Amino acid sequence: MKITPIIGLEVHVELKTKSKMFCGCDANHFHVEPNTHTCPVCLGLPGALPVPNKTACQWCIKLGLALGCSINEESFFERKNYFYPDLAKGYQITQLQKPFAVKGHLNIDGHEIKINRAHMEEDTGKSIHENSVTLLDFNRSGVPLVEIVSEPDIQSSEEAKKYLGKLQQIIRYINISDADIEKGSMRCEPTVNVKIEDNGKAYYTPLVEIKNVASLSGVMNAIDYEIKRQINQYQSDKIEKNSSNKTTRGWDADKNQTFLQREKEGSADYRYFPEPDIPPLFFSSEEIESIRKTLPLLPDQKINFYKNLGLSDYDANLLADSKEFSEIFDKIISVDTSSEYVKFCANLLIGPLKTITLEVDKINPQSFKKLFDKKSELSSTAIKQLILDSYNSGQDPLDLAKEQNLFQISDTNALEEMAREVIKNNPKAFDDYRKNPLAIGFLIGQLMKVSHGSANPQLAKEIFEKLLN
Amino acid sequence: MTNLNQLNLQQARTGLQAKKFSSADLVKSCFDQIKHVEAKINAFVSTFEKDALKQAESVDINLPLGGIPIAIKDNFLTKNQLTTASSKLLENYFPQYDATTIKKIKEAGAIIIGKTNLDAWAHGSSTETSDYGTTKNPWNLNHLPGGSSGGSAAAIASNEVIVATGSETAGSIRQPASWCGVVGFKPSYGRVSRYGIIAMKSSTDSPGSIGKTVDDAANLLEIMSGHDPLDATSIDEGAWHKPEPLKNLEGLKIGLPLCYFPPEISPEVKQSILDAATTLEKLGAHIIELPDVLDPKYSIAVYTILQRSEVSSNLARFDGIRYGHDRSFFGEEAKRRIMLGTYSLSSGYYDAYYTKAQKVRTLICQDFDRQFSQVDALIGPVSPTTALKIGASKGQAMFGEIQDMLVEPSSIAGLPGISLPCAFDRSGLPIGLQIMAPQKREDIVYQIAKIFEDNTDYHLKNPKL
Repeated sequence: MKITPIIGLEVHVELKTKSKMFCGCDANHFHVEPNTHTCPVCLGLPGALPVPNKTACQWCIKLGLALGCSINEESFFERKNYFYPDLAKGYQITQLQKPFAVKGHLNIDGHEIKINRAHMEEDTGKSIHENSVTLLDFNRSGVPLVEIVSEPDIQSSEEAKKYLGKLQQIIRYINISDADIEKGSMRCEPTVNVKIEDNGKAYYTPLVEIKNVASLSGVMNAIDYEIKRQINQYQSDKIEKNSSNKTTRGWDADKNQTFLQREKEGSADYRYFPEPDIPPLFFSSEEIESIRKTLPLLPDQKINFYKNLGLSDYDANLLADSKEFSEIFDKIISVDTSSEYVKFCANLLIGPLKTITLEVDKINPQSFKKLFDKKSELSSTAIKQLILDSYNSGQDPLDLAKEQNLFQISDTNALEEMAREVIKNNPKAFDDYRKNPLAIGFLIGQLMKVSHGSANPQLAKEIFEKLLN
Repeated sequence: MTNLNQLNLQQARTGLQAKKFSSADLVKSCFDQIKHVEAKINAFVSTFEKDALKQAESVDINLPLGGIPIAIKDNFLTKNQLTTASSKLLENYFPQYDATTIKKIKEAGAIIIGKTNLDAWAHGSSTETSDYGTTKNPWNLNHLPGGSSGGSAAAIASNEVIVATGSETAGSIRQPASWCGVVGFKPSYGRVSRYGIIAMKSSTDSPGSIGKTVDDAANLLEIMSGHDPLDATSIDEGAWHKPEPLKNLEGLKIGLPLCYFPPEISPEVKQSILDAATTLEKLGAHIIELPDVLDPKYSIAVYTILQRSEVSSNLARFDGIRYGHDRSFFGEEAKRRIMLGTYSLSSGYYDAYYTKAQKVRTLICQDFDRQFSQVDALIGPVSPTTALKIGASKGQAMFGEIQDMLVEPSSIAGLPGISLPCAFDRSGLPIGLQIMAPQKREDIVYQIAKIFEDNTDYHLKNPKL
C-alpha cells in the first residue's frame, strides 16, 4: 500500500498599508482599543461605499509578480455573500473570476508547487466571545488581505512548512506584510486528503479543510494528524472523495487533534456577483512593468548571486535568510566582490556579528575592507574582536588594533632575537625537539608569551626550525 | 403678498436677497402649508420645524441655496436626524453621518425642513409599500403620487416646500414627477454621489432633484453634483453647471422612439407627447421618428433580475444585530425582492439570470449609442398613464416595473433624463414629457426642457387643496 498526501494551502496575508482596503481608517488593529479605527465604510453603515486602496492593489500585484504569476490587466471585485456577526455588510468584497494574479509557482527543494491565484480582499471584524456574550470589534474590518491559493501539489507537512516559510520570506522581502503567523497577519488553511494505492488501484479520501491553525507547528501537526486520521477512517469506512463530501475541521492545539466543524462544504453558496460599487480596475502592461521594477532581488535570486560570488550553498542561504540581513551583507561587499573578500566577510557576518542586532546604517564597509587587507598581520581572534568593537564604537578597526597592540610581529629580525632568548631560557627544549619535533609548539607558545601574543605564529615556527636545525 | 410657500426657487432667492421677506418667513410659510395639507397628502415621514426655524434665523442668504427650505427623500442619510427609508426596520435609526449630497446641500445654505415618504427601501412606484402610509396625489387625493420619490414630488406639487431631493434607480424621480405635475431631473449615473444614500440597485442608483420648474431642478442638481472621492463610481468631473438657455432649437435633432408608445398607453398621454413634439418642432427642432429602438419591454426583465440581485445583497447588512430591529421588519415587497434576488444569484441559476441580464444590458446601452449617432436627444412619455388610483399596486408584484417600463432603458444605460409637465388629462391629472440625452449630456436635457417650459404654462398650475 502506497500513501501520498495531497495538500493545498490557502494563505491569507494582511497587508501593512497605512489605511484599510476600502476606506481611510488606520489599518493597524494589533492591541488597539476596540472599535476606534472605524468609519461608516468599514462598519458597513447604510449608504457607505467602498473605494479601493490603490497601494494595496499594487502590492497584491507585486506579490503576484514575485510568485511568478501572470497579472490580469483587467480585474474586478466581487461580493461574497454570507452571514456572520462580524461581517459588517453581510458580504465580503473579494475577487473570484478575475483576480489580480494567477498561475504562479514556488520552488521547494526542486519540487514546483503551483500557485492558483493571489487575489485581493478585505478582512472581517473580530468576534470576541466573553462569558455568555459575544463582543464585536470592527478595527480589523476592511483591513487589506491577499489570499494566496496553492494547487494541491504539497506532499508532506514538512513541505508545507517549507512552502509557508518561503512565502513568508518573499512577502517580507517585498515588504508588504509582517506575515506573522502568531500575530495573525499570516493565516493558513490547509486542505488535505490522501491518495491510497493498493493492488494497482488508487483511492482518494474525502477533502478536509482545516481551520483555526495559529502557528507554523500547528500547521504541521494538523496536517500530520489529518493524514493519519484519514487513512484510519478510510480503512474503516472505505468512503472516497466525491463532489459533495468535503468537510471543514477545526484544529484543537491543546488536544493536538482536529474536530468536525461543518459537513457538506460543497453546498455553501456565496452568491458571488461583480461588486457594483467598484468599477473594473485596469493596470496597463506599462504599470505592471513599473511595479515589477520595484521588486528587489528575491531570496532565490539572492542565493544564486551569493553562490556565484563563491559562497557555499549553506552560507548563501544563511545570508539571504532575511532581506535586512542580506542588505547588510550587500553593503559590506559593495566595496569588493572578490571571492576571498566575500568569504572573509561572510564568515564575520555569520560568526561574531550574528550574535548582535545589526543596523544597516551603522555598517561601515571600510572597516571590513581594512581588516581584510591587514588580515595577515592579525590573528583570527583579533579580527573577530575588532569587527565587533569597531561596529559598536564606530572607530577604525586598525586604530583599535594599534591601541590594543594586536598587530602581529612579522619582523624576522625582531622575532629571531626573541626566539634566541626563548631557546636560551629553555635549554631543555633543544633536546626535546631532537626527540620529538612536535615540542616546537612549546617554544612557539613561549614566544607568543614574550611578544604578548603579537608574534605571527607561522613565522615564529619557521624561525625556530631554522635555529634548532 | 402671495403665499411664500408657492414661490419657486428662483423667486424665493430673489425675494430673500431683496429682503422682501426672511428665510424664517419662508420656512414658516412652508410649515403653515404642511399643517394645512399634510394630513391629506402624507408627503413627509418626519419634519424638523424647530431646527429649521432656528437655522433660518442665522442662515447666510448669499449662499447658492441660502435660506431655501428643502425636503429630503428619506433614504438620504441625515446626521442625527431620523432616516428610515420608509421602513419600520429603521424606525429608530439616527445616522452618524451626512450623505455627501446632504453635506453639499447644507453647505449651500439650504434648510432641511423634513424627510419625505417613499416606497420602503425605494422598492416601488406608488409609495404604497411605505411603512408610514401611502402619500396622496395632490391633484386628486384618490390617486397615487407615483414613486418611489412620491413624497418629494407630492410635497413640491402641494407647495409644502420649495425644492426636494429624489433618487432614481429606474423611474423613481421621473415617474412621480410626471404623476404629480412637477419637474424631476435624473442625472447621468455617477453625476451625483451615492455616498450616504441607502443603496437599492447600486449600479443604477442616481440621486437627483425635484422642483417646481426646470431651473429649480437644475439649480439643485448643480449643488448636488460633482466628483466624490468617497464614491468610486462617481464621474471624475467637477460640479455640473447648467448651460445658457437656447433661443430656439434650430439644428437640434430629437428622436421619437415609436416603441415608447405601446398598445397599453393611454390615448391622452400619447396625444400629449405628440403635441409636445409639435411644440418642439415649432421651436425649430427636427423631430425624427425612430422605428427601430430596442423595445423597452426587454428592460423590464433585465432591470428586474439585476435589481433584485443587488437588493438581496444590499439589504444583507440589516441583519438584526444593529439598527434595533430584525429582518421580520422587512415588508412584503422587500422580502419578495430579497427572495428573488437570492434565487437569481444562486449557483446553477446565476448564468441563466444574472449573466444573461448583464448581456442584455450591454445590448440596451449599444442601442442607445446607435440612436444617439442619429439624434441629439430622445423624447417620449414618462409613464403610459396618468396617476393611477390608490390601491392599484396592491397584489401587483410587477407594478413598478410595468409602470416604469419607459424610463427603465435609460436608467439601465445610466443616461440623464427629465420629466416635466406637458399636459393634463380630462380628469385634471398631469402628464409628463420625458427628455433623454447621451451620458453626461445633462446640458441638452436642460436646454430642451427649459425652452419647452418657457413656451408652455403647465408648470404654473397648482392643485386645489
